[in-house]
Parts: sequence; C-alpha cells; structure tokens
Amino acid sequence: MPQSQRHNTQRQNTQRHNTQRHNNDIAIVGFAQTHAHVRYDGPEVVLIMECVNALLADAGIERHDVDFTIAGSCDYLSGMPFAFVSNVDGMGAWPPVYESHVEMDGAWALFEAWLRLQMGDIDIAMVVGSGKSSPCNSREVFHLQADPYVVAPLGIDPDAMAGIAARSLIESHKATETEIAEVVARSYASAASNPHAQIRTTATVEELLAAPYDMAPLRAHDVSPKADGAAALLIARRDRATEITDKPVWISGLDHRIESHHAGLRDLTDSASTRLAAAGSGVGDGAVDVAELHVTHAHEEIILRNALNLADSTSVNPSGGPLAGDPVMATGLVRVIEVARRIAAGEAGRGVAHASSGAALQQNLLCVLEGGT
Amino acid sequence: MAELFEIDFNLEYPYTRTTGPIIGPFLTGLRDGRMLATRVGARVICPPVEYDPDTGATVGAENLVEVGPAGEVTGWTWVAQPTSKHPFEHPFAFAQIKLDGADTTMLHAVDAGSEDSMSTGMRVVVRFRGDRQGTINDVYFVPGDEAPAAPEVDDDAEPVRITEHLIGVRIREPLLPHRRRFVEGLRQGRIIGQRSPVDGKVHVPSRGYDATNRVPMTPDDDVEVADVGTVTSFTEIVPVQYHGQTETEPYIRCSVLLDGADSTVGGIDIRDIKVEDFRVGMRLQMVWREDDRIGEFDNRGYGLNEEVYERWEPTGEPDVDPELLKEHNF
Repeated sequence: MPQSQRHNTQRQNTQRHNTQRHNNDIAIVGFAQTHAHVRYDGPEVVLIMECVNALLADAGIERHDVDFTIAGSCDYLSGMPFAFVSNVDGMGAWPPVYESHVEMDGAWALFEAWLRLQMGDIDIAMVVGSGKSSPCNSREVFHLQADPYVVAPLGIDPDAMAGIAARSLIESHKATETEIAEVVARSYASAASNPHAQIRTTATVEELLAAPYDMAPLRAHDVSPKADGAAALLIARRDRATEITDKPVWISGLDHRIESHHAGLRDLTDSASTRLAAAGSGVGDGAVDVAELHVTHAHEEIILRNALNLADSTSVNPSGGPLAGDPVMATGLVRVIEVARRIAAGEAGRGVAHASSGAALQQNLLCVLEGGT
Repeated sequence: MAELFEIDFNLEYPYTRTTGPIIGPFLTGLRDGRMLATRVGARVICPPVEYDPDTGATVGAENLVEVGPAGEVTGWTWVAQPTSKHPFEHPFAFAQIKLDGADTTMLHAVDAGSEDSMSTGMRVVVRFRGDRQGTINDVYFVPGDEAPAAPEVDDDAEPVRITEHLIGVRIREPLLPHRRRFVEGLRQGRIIGQRSPVDGKVHVPSRGYDATNRVPMTPDDDVEVADVGTVTSFTEIVPVQYHGQTETEPYIRCSVLLDGADSTVGGIDIRDIKVEDFRVGMRLQMVWREDDRIGEFDNRGYGLNEEVYERWEPTGEPDVDPELLKEHNF
C-alpha cells in the first residue's frame, strides 16, 4: 500500500522559552478525539464529523477559517475502496475545500500539514486521523506493508514480527518478560484516568505473566486492542495561533525516518530510525517531561525508551497509551494530542509524541512540543 | 431475519508484478530447487537485493550466488493461531533464518510441529513444495540439516518474470443503523430517506448524515418518499472484462430524482429501454420485485440495487424540463 517515504530533515530553528517567536513558528491550537470504541456502529464519516465539530467548537473558529485539511486513514480496514473520499464529508467539503490525504496514521498527516504551513501563504490547517478497523482482522491487512515479493505473501504480520523482535530483545538480555508485563500493568493503571481508553481493567504483573502465549514470547495483552476512533487537531502559524488561543502548544521539532523493508538488514532490538528522528527533531535539546509513545506491542516501549534516551523522570504514556486503546490510523495523532493536552493544561512544559508505522517499528515519527507564549 | 443485516464478504485484488533482474532469478530458483542470494561488497544478502543497501548502487545479476539449503534460526515466534494469510493452517513458527553462506537473515515459516522443537541457534533446512508457482511460498523450512531431495523440475520452463499475489480481506460487520432502517422500509415497500434538520433537504438513500451542513442525522429525521421520479442523468455502459466482472451486455446506468427527494438515487440500471429512447427529464416508475430477496444490501453502495426492483417503466407523463434538473446532475 502507498506510504509516505519522505526523508525530510527539516527542523525549525529551535525556539526556547523566553525567546521571541516569529510567524514561522507553528502551534497546536485545538484538539479533539473520540473514544476508542471496540466497535462503532455508525459510519466512519460520523465518527470524524463529531470529532471535527467538537474541535472547531473548542477552538472557537468556523470551518471556513481553515485553509487546508489533511487526513490519514486506511481504506482496507473498512473494506471500502475510496473510503477516504467519503471521509472528507466528515471534515466538511462544502463550499469546496483545499485538502489532502495520506494512507498513513494521522501523525503523518500532521507532518504534511506542518510542512505546508511553513510555505507561509496560509495560516491554519486541520489534521484528522481515523479508522474503523472492527469489520476486519487488521493483521490480514497490515502484512501488506511488507515487501510484496518475498515477505507479504507469507502473511508475516506486525504481530508476528513483534513476536520475533520481543524474543530477540529477551535473548539479548535487553528486557525480561517481567519488564514487558510491567509495561502493560502500568499502561492499564494509567488508562483509568483516560476517559477515551478502551481498557477499563487493571492487572498485576503476576496475573499478566500467568496468561497464555500468543505469538510467543508475547501474550494477547502485549498487543494493543484495536479500536474504531478518530482524532483531530488544528495547527496555526504564530500570529493566528495567538489569536485563537492563549495556550498555544508549539511544535519545536518534527522528523520521521524509515528503516529497510529487508528485516535481515535491521537490528530489531534497537530503533535506529527513532534515534535519527530524535536527533533531527531535537528531543535531547531539553528536558522531556512527558512522552507518549506509539507502543502497539509492549516490548516496544523498552526499545523506544532506550532509543530516545529518556530520563527516569519522564512520564511515559500517562494516557495508558495504545496498549489501553488503539484506534488504528488515529493512534499516532492521539499521542500528539495527549502530549499537547498536558502542556496546554500546564501539567508539562515540554514533551515528545511518537508515532510508528510498519512492522517492528520500521518507521518512526517524533514531534517535540513545548508551551510558552 | 437478523442474518440479513450481517454483512460478510471478501474484498480481493489480484496483483501481478514483474520480478526484475534479481527477484526473477531468486523466484525461479525457488521453483527449480535452488536458494539464491546477492553478494554485495563483503556481504552475502538473502533474500537478494537489487541495490547496495549502504550506497544504493545497482547490484547486477552477476552477483547472484547459491546459499543454503540449510541454515540457522536467529530469531523466531510461535504462531499458535494462524491467520488465513499464513502458509500453514496448524501452529508453526515464523523465523529469521541465516542460510549457510549468507550473512543476513531471511524471514520464513518453519513447520516444526511444536513450540518445544524451536530454539534460537537451531538448524533448519528448506523443503520444496510439490506445486511450485515461482513465489516465496514455493518453499518452507523444517528442523534439521538434511538436504532435500532435488525436486522435479521442468527443464523447458521459462524463467519467472511475473509473480502473482491475490490479496484479500474478510469484512464482517452489521448494516449501519440508517442503512438497516432503509432496508427494513424496502421490505415493507417503502423508500425511507432523511430530512436534514438544518436545511430541510431530503437525502435518499441517506448516508446517515448531511454532508453539506456537517451534521449527523437520527431516526427522528427519517421520511418516506415516492417510488416514482425523474431521470437526471445517464450513460450507456459497455462492460469490459476484469476480475469479478459479471456483466456481459451493454446497459443504461442512470440517476433518478424521486418525488419528495432533493438528492438523486444513483446507479440505477435499465436493461429494457433502448438508449435512443432514454432522456433526461423522463418520468419513471419503479416496479418492485415480488419475491423477498430485498435485504441483500451492504454499507458500501448508496443506491437502490436490483435486489429491490424488477425494472423501471416510463409513466407516460410529459418530461420534466431538464433546465429544472440542473441542481441534480448526479
């Protein structure tokens, strides 16, 4: 399936607190997300529509104020060719609008919108990620992201690749099964305070380790529960951003990198592309108060913490993360929203949102966010 | 009747891909009983690559070398519950396998019988399937070291230049709530649309929302419209043959604005009116099917399909002036 394959290394001049921002600085000025529904019975369009209407109301702007819209989704999930075209109805397409789409998680739509605003001729962009994956087994879709000649026909899906990576991580003594279970236990506990989460239970490490294997050494709870859902946010250049909100959340860096589709050329126990994206987006240029990571398999949190060189003091996936609810194709964008929400609320000063695509963390996107006026 | 409202189908796309100068020989090798890799600088890479992963430089076919047939498992997972896309219906392992003579691993399936038979560092060896098509699934692996017997090969067979992959996904879901009410109406001989709570326009069949005003619609917005209307546009379709095509004869596909509706019903097929007699503005009456096959709807179409009507008949009324239909082209 088509995938964005950009290798941009753009990074805005890093602006720090107490420095003068200029109009090329871009901020998140509003956000909304739906629940992670086990199964949403209405059309995906209505899921998006309710999310977008809440977003515009929250930001206090009208649809016609938005200069550019872009969405990320995957038609295969709902089995509806050109579903992404109908989805535009949810964002509002009348009078005719200027819009784009990526067959990727909404976080990659944010990347394109962020690039677009830097051209300087328009001020406000709306970004949507949505998915209705309940009609299918998403494993039967996402193995198609692999090489179409020598991998995809084998049906090696992301869960199988994750099982291989998890075993390599354990056998190379970079993680233990107990540590992997601890990721799940902490994610479930954190999700208790997230009204959008799908998982509504807690579990002890002992209980988790007693569960049977599925894709050994992974267990069913180590894999994110797929959900139907949507997320949306608005970004704006500085002058408009500060008109719309007194709590803009500035995008100080954004980068994404891709590793080889040839798994034999990758080290599945590390994330080379995350390390590159971290350098490109400036993750290490300041303290990271909060990190929301696109962890669809529990052991990936351990790989990502190491690749991002996160301090023990960083709050990781305080929302519960994807292990507590994975609205496929919106999940990465939700990570951005969860960081932005905490910065806008004054709970954090600086944070990083991570999104991933492909098997075994093949592609990784990092968005560094910070508060201040 | 509940089963009428559950949708279950396979969406399939057949892909045929040219294989190129490196993958072609690799897949030909699998068909003919050999495992090939490419030598790239100091490394032997399997599956072979067309380019140097470090520099992007082209790697020519002269760099193909034979590897295997046995090798070492460097990583694996146990698939306790295979999906429909996996090479085995019974539990098996997916593994990274470093074939003898190669410096990198390839992903493949190991038919090991049980999880206890698997371990990192174990030896596995290729097995050639009886029916080989020039795809990666022509082979699989088993524990052990013993080279397989040479498979039977057709010496006259052409090299693999095309590889085929039929992809598909099974979709199972209930009819969307507004579609269900629409279908229930049809079963009672009524056509149900929805009136926008914002601008009062009637959408039929409804999509469950008013796109113009960006507002969801509810059962409170349901209204009934007539089964008679006006042709707003049409074309003649001459079927081309493709995967899944069932049509063979030319037919008319038109849109009809039902009386009482503001949106047209698209995709109405007319097979018994001559194209030279068909006009925009023509008045048509739907002739309902008499059997109870109504209900075979999914969430994808927006029209009234042939499960509902037998045909559409001219009413004999004067045509509507096409100028008055300009807002309703589709």
